[in-house]
Amino acid sequence: MSDNQTSATQVDNAAEQTTHFGFQQVDKGQKASLVANVFDSVAAKYDVMNDLMSMGVHRLWKRFTIDCSGVRAGNKVLDIAGGTGDLTAKFSRLVGPTGRVTLADINLSMLKVGRDKLRDRGLVSNIDYVQADAEALPFPDNHFDVVTMAFGLRNVTEKQNALNSIYRVLKPGGRLLVLEFSKPTSEQLSKIYDMYSFHILPKMGQLVANDADSYQYLAESIRMHPDQETLKGMFETAGFEQCDYQNLTGGIVALHRGYKF
Amino acid sequence: MPTSALISATVETALNKLLSLDDESKKRLKGLNGARLTAFVSPLPYGITLSFSDRIDVLIEQESFDDVVTSLGRQDCCIKTSMQTLPALKETSQLTRLIQQKQLFLEGELNIAQQVSGLFQQLDIDIEELLAKKTNDVVAHQSVKTAKAIHHKSTAAISSIARIFGNALVEEKKVAAHKLAVLHFSDEVNALRDSTERLDARLSAIEEKFK
Repeated sequence: MSDNQTSATQVDNAAEQTTHFGFQQVDKGQKASLVANVFDSVAAKYDVMNDLMSMGVHRLWKRFTIDCSGVRAGNKVLDIAGGTGDLTAKFSRLVGPTGRVTLADINLSMLKVGRDKLRDRGLVSNIDYVQADAEALPFPDNHFDVVTMAFGLRNVTEKQNALNSIYRVLKPGGRLLVLEFSKPTSEQLSKIYDMYSFHILPKMGQLVANDADSYQYLAESIRMHPDQETLKGMFETAGFEQCDYQNLTGGIVALHRGYKF
Repeated sequence: MPTSALISATVETALNKLLSLDDESKKRLKGLNGARLTAFVSPLPYGITLSFSDRIDVLIEQESFDDVVTSLGRQDCCIKTSMQTLPALKETSQLTRLIQQKQLFLEGELNIAQQVSGLFQQLDIDIEELLAKKTNDVVAHQSVKTAKAIHHKSTAAISSIARIFGNALVEEKKVAAHKLAVLHFSDEVNALRDSTERLDARLSAIEEKFK
C-alpha cells in the first residue's frame, strides 16, 4: 500500500470514529455525554427558553404534530426525547385510561422535570417514564401505535440507528412523527434566521439560563442536522413507507411522517 | 405558522374557559369522559375533533370522514354536515329528517352528539356574579342591568327600523311585494302546477287509449 493510500485510509477511519457536536468534530463516544451536559444545564429553564426563543410558536408546532398523529383512545404512544412532556400531556388525555403513553428521554434531568410537571397537572395514571437511548430502545418489537420525537433527533449520535430502532418498536400500521428544526425554504428568511440564531439566541441563553454555550450549540446543531429531503431518505432507508414532510414556519421546522406497514 | 393549530388552540382555550365559568358543567363533562366527537362541517377544509376528559382537547382532523369512520371506537361519534344545517341540529327531533334528506351524516354513538349538545346548551353562566368578583356587587349589578337595557333597546330599535324600512319598500315605494301577496302568488303557482299535472295525466290517458 502506498503512503498516499495509507494516509487516505487513516483519514477515512478517523471520519468514521468522529461525529459533529455543533460545528465541532468529536469522538462518537463523546457526543452523548456532551449533549447530556447541555441538557443537564438547561433542563430547569427549558420551557421558559422554548417559549422565549420561539415566541410561543413551538406550542403550535407540537399541536400540529399531535393533529397529525391520528392517535385514538386505547393507543400506545412513545414520546422519545419527550423532555418536559409537552406532547405526553396531551397524548395522555387523548389515549384515555385504556391507552398508555411512554415518555422516554436519555437525559435524567429532563425526564425528572417532565415527570414533576405532568404529576403537578394530575397526569399520573397512564404515563410511564423511561430513561432510554433512541438508538437502542428498550421495548419489544411491534409495540407502539404512534412514536413521536420532537426536537430530539438532531442530538442523537447515529440518527439512522435511532430510526431503525423506532421502526422495530412500531406496530405494523403505526406511524412515526419527527418534528425537528430544518432548512428554511427562502433565502431571505434563512439570513434573518441565521442572524437570530447566532447573535440573539446565545445572548438570550446567557441572560435567562445563564448559559450562552448551550444555546450556541443549539444553533450549530440545527445547521448540522440533515435537510428535509435527506431526512426523508433516512426514513425510507429505515423501512418506513408513505414518507412525507411538511414545512412549518417557512421550513424553520419540518414535520416528517412515515408509516410501518 | 400552522394556522390550523392556531385555530384549534384558540377554540380549545375558549371552550375550556367557557366551561370553567359554570360549576355544573364539570358534572356533565364527567359523563363524556373518554368520548370523542368529530365534526366535518363544509365549507371548513378540516374536520374538528373534540376529545373529552377532565377538559376538552380540540384536534384538527387530518383524515377524511370515511377514514375517521373506519376507526371509530365505542365512545366515538362522527358527523358530516354543512354550516347551514348546524342551527337545525339544536332540535334533536329534526335529526332523523336531516339524515333522511342527506343533510347530515352520522356514524357512531348518537348519544355522544346529544350529550355534547347538552353540555353547551345547558351552560348557565352568572355574568353578574363573575363580574362582582372583579369589581363589587353594586357595580356588577348596575353594569349587567345597563347591558341588558342596552340589549333590549337595541333589539327593539333594530326590529322597529326593519319594520319601517319594510313598510316603505312595500307600501310607499312599491318596490317589493307584500308578504301576503307573495304567499297568494305561491298558492296560485301551486294550483297552476296541479292543474297542469292533471291535464298532463289526462292527455297521457287519452294517448294510451288511441295507441
